[in-house]
Amino acid sequence: MGNFVFHLGKYIMLIWRVFSKPEKFSIYRRRLFDEMITLGLDSLGIIMVISVFMGAVITIQTAANIDSAFIPTYTIGFTTRQSTILEFSPTIMALILAGKVGSNIASEIGTMRITEQIDALEIMGVNSSAFLILPKIIAAVLINPFLTIISMFVSIGGGYAIAMFTDIVTVSDYVYGIQLDFKPFHVAYALIKTAVFAFLLTSIPAYQGYYASGSALEVGSASTRGVVYSSIVILVANYVITQLILI
Amino acid sequence: MIEVGDLSKSFGDKDVLKGISVTFNAGQTNLVIGASGSGKSTLARCLIGLVEPDSGSILYDGRDFMKMKDKERKELRKEVGFLFQGSALFDFMNVQQNVQFPLDMLTTLSSKEKKARVAEVLERVELSGADKLMPSELSGGMKKRVGIARAIAPRPKYLFCDEPNSGLDPITAIVIDKLIYEITKEYNITTLGITHDMNSVLEIGDQIIFIHQGYKAWEGNRDEILVTDSKEVLDFVYASEFMKKAKP
Ligand SMILES: Nc1ncnc2c1ncn2[C@@H]1O[C@H](COP(=O)(O)OP(=O)(O)OP(=O)(O)O)[C@@H](O)[C@H]1O
Ligand SMILES: [Mg+2]
Repeated sequence: MGNFVFHLGKYIMLIWRVFSKPEKFSIYRRRLFDEMITLGLDSLGIIMVISVFMGAVITIQTAANIDSAFIPTYTIGFTTRQSTILEFSPTIMALILAGKVGSNIASEIGTMRITEQIDALEIMGVNSSAFLILPKIIAAVLINPFLTIISMFVSIGGGYAIAMFTDIVTVSDYVYGIQLDFKPFHVAYALIKTAVFAFLLTSIPAYQGYYASGSALEVGSASTRGVVYSSIVILVANYVITQLILI
Repeated sequence: MIEVGDLSKSFGDKDVLKGISVTFNAGQTNLVIGASGSGKSTLARCLIGLVEPDSGSILYDGRDFMKMKDKERKELRKEVGFLFQGSALFDFMNVQQNVQFPLDMLTTLSSKEKKARVAEVLERVELSGADKLMPSELSGGMKKRVGIARAIAPRPKYLFCDEPNSGLDPITAIVIDKLIYEITKEYNITTLGITHDMNSVLEIGDQIIFIHQGYKAWEGNRDEILVTDSKEVLDFVYASEFMKKAKP
């Protein structure tokens, strides 16, 4: 418990420094652009592949679980849309990215720590925490909502493919279902979640990497900790945000 | 000039530096020698605040580093060039960007002047033409030389070089020694070099301090080191067969 409070305090202090006044904005602009490419564009492929299968599976499972004749089959489309928008696209994608992006960030920053690159930055009068971490956080918070929206479309498209290629549900029922009782607020809720998750899945691994010490082995375990802790915190945050916003 | 007084540092229960007092003069190549693990890098890191010393004083031309707040230290560091033992080049920047980075951060030079300065220092370390390579494409010795170029590019008042020529072939090592010596004289830099290389010691050691088990065990210049009667220093200097043969 004491350990948890210690790390929480140290984490908050790091974040405080990350958001303190940057020294030269022009340097950050270039970094931000690079990070948007690495964090965003490079994750697009995995997001699409996972989303299409996710949507397909939700559709099949919903169909398999509806065995009452009183429940109309368009419920399948409706459920696919709702689960995708509310939970799967924002949360599952955040967990996938915590694994992909999180380990990448922790090992990149951890390597810079143990090879004295962070010391070199400090000597040049650069706020190393802001320089290394801020562009990552901002890039993810800006880019991830787009990834979530793409994931929503692709996932619902995965369900559509099932409707088209199998006889579980007709295309017209599925399409009717995904349009039924659509609340734009749910998308807003999902995007708010995504932004919060983006902050967590960049800042927590960054913290782990920033305070790595010793050898390459230590960088590896910092990277593992970054992924594990950010995943747990994302799930807790998911609960808290849902409680606050949706209920 | 950097004046160090009674500087001590321990990590846990391991006393690495035990009351080091020494003055490093400007326009002089000051070399720190000593066995591996004797605390040479730790000394350099303490002087610039990358490691916080337990006690002692550090004066940069009279300015008390230990009493400075973070902000003042940051200002002072702008006058410092530092070559790290492992070069510490930024992975995500090519050679040109690495060398230009401190210029971007620390100077108000125009982009044309910066380009010219980068070209000039890269030429001095004999790496013209390598400017578009990434650190991962460089050999260890090339990294060292880029690290030196980066350290000297902003024309620092104080230059720290942690093993500037380890991992270099003998000819390039001499080139680098000469470069450090020349710019020290040319710009009246207070240079602190850490080295294992006896050749450097004898070529460019204006002042040499020998660290042994955390203490400053000897101090003198390149002529005095050959004729000292300190056993530790002699053991260190004449460790190799070659040096034994060359002994006067
Ligand atoms: N951050 C640290 N934490 C704990 N111990 C450290 C730390 N940095 C250095 N040491 C210890 O301090 C001692 C001196 O290390 P230092 O790197 O200063 O040696 P050195 O003289 O530069 O050696 P070399 O010639 O091999 O580079 C070593 O025993 C090392 O284990
Ligand atoms: Mg060392």
